[in-house]
Amino acid sequence: MPTSLIILAVIVIVLILMYNSLVSKKNQVENIFAGVDAVLKKRYDLIPNLVASVSKYMEHEKSLLTEVTKLRAEANKPNISEHEKIALDAKVTSALGSIMIAVENYPDLKANENVMHLQHSLNEVEEQISAARRAYNQSVTDYNNAIEMIPTNFMATAMNYQRKEVFEIPQTQRENVNVKELFN
Amino acid sequence: MKSTSELTDFYYKNLYPTLKKLDDERKHLRYRIIVIGVLYTLLFFLLFLAFSSPNTLSGDFLAFFAFAYFGLGTFIYKFLIKDYTKEFKNKIIEPLIHAIDEKLTYASEMYLPQHYFNKSELFTSSPDRMSGNDYVKGYIDGVNIEFSDLHAEKKHKDSKGRENWSTIFRGLFIVSEFNKTFHGKTVVIPDTAQNTFGSLIGNWLQSKNLSRDELVKMDDVEFEKEFVVYSNDQIEARYILSHSLMKRLLTFKQKSKHPVYISFIGESIHMAIYYDKDLFEPSVFHSLLDYKIAMEYVKTLHLAIGIVDELKLNQKLWSKR
Repeated sequence: MPTSLIILAVIVIVLILMYNSLVSKKNQVENIFAGVDAVLKKRYDLIPNLVASVSKYMEHEKSLLTEVTKLRAEANKPNISEHEKIALDAKVTSALGSIMIAVENYPDLKANENVMHLQHSLNEVEEQISAARRAYNQSVTDYNNAIEMIPTNFMATAMNYQRKEVFEIPQTQRENVNVKELFN
Repeated sequence: MKSTSELTDFYYKNLYPTLKKLDDERKHLRYRIIVIGVLYTLLFFLLFLAFSSPNTLSGDFLAFFAFAYFGLGTFIYKFLIKDYTKEFKNKIIEPLIHAIDEKLTYASEMYLPQHYFNKSELFTSSPDRMSGNDYVKGYIDGVNIEFSDLHAEKKHKDSKGRENWSTIFRGLFIVSEFNKTFHGKTVVIPDTAQNTFGSLIGNWLQSKNLSRDELVKMDDVEFEKEFVVYSNDQIEARYILSHSLMKRLLTFKQKSKHPVYISFIGESIHMAIYYDKDLFEPSVFHSLLDYKIAMEYVKTLHLAIGIVDELKLNQKLWSKR
């Protein structure tokens, strides 16, 4: 067999391997995003219940509650992109955090069994969301590395793969809102 | 739970009279073992001289003789220390365990059932022979926990059809209820590939491990250096291994000073600490009052029973309450 044929075969195999690895990385990201979506939905499902139970007591935080409801409606719209979902998640996390902090100011609410139940459910969903975010971020990092590193980057450009963005881990947002409200 | 220093105090204060008595026994026993050992060796040597002639002196013959010498020797040794071991376990180890928690049950001759070992999926080969002892079971802070010494072995046949046994695991095996609900399987094992081959090739090798599930890369640099995680659910693995649990497992690993294998399967966390020796056995050639020896008993027990507190297994998530 002529050497040129062998070289061609090797090149083809390498290209196939590169192509497949890129596709599998992209699918992994999508796969995990489906998991993220599922837990996010779990949290959105808790919101109407939460708003209904606390709205009677919370006079001063009405705007917070309407905001959360609005965000939920937005998130439930069909055909929103991954990018928008990520942005919405950050806003919802921050708004829910503020509501939970506000609950602390109402002793009646704090003792309410229904609210307590919701609070626990939210905490648990929040832990699952945090895990899902971390899994998503890792898969996106793998994907981004592959499309930027030699040699797969050439292939990625040819396939028109774009960088994806990761979730910010929203720890500080919660605290910011908290402090501001305390001094008002 | 009592601290290790409180337990050491207990060992030296409350158990002192018993220790003193046992230590005297130990000295007699040591003397007996040395005398019998010398006689036994002499006898074997004479037998060897009597049987060996230039035409029988082959490698096989020597191997057989050495095998018989060590096999019979171990048997005699175990027989000699049997009573002493039993007394030590009943009078020292058991009170020590009860000093940690009175409601713990202890059975010196039992060990964890084999199905726990198989279910844990910590080791990919399944054992053909299991042995062990020092089984402890109980309920600490509302959390079920059990552990024992285990020795899991696999049978091999060499080209000549001779049997030999290799060790899969030897050390402390702990099974406890986990504080979160999960459905998949997550296994955390010591990271050997990344340590020997560096992170790039090591990572690649790990992802190609066919006997394990998918590789999970964790977002804690220290943890990634020490362990490698495999799971059939990328999200759930991170749900179980929160940042705080990863920190705690690292601390645990540093404390134990031995390789640690952890898996989360079913409702439980399984931990295997590879000591490569039988634990909680009385020392024969060193004094029981020796601080180093005392500390080994105390520390190992404290480490095993302490996981509930150390890993915060008692802080159950609300849905598990």
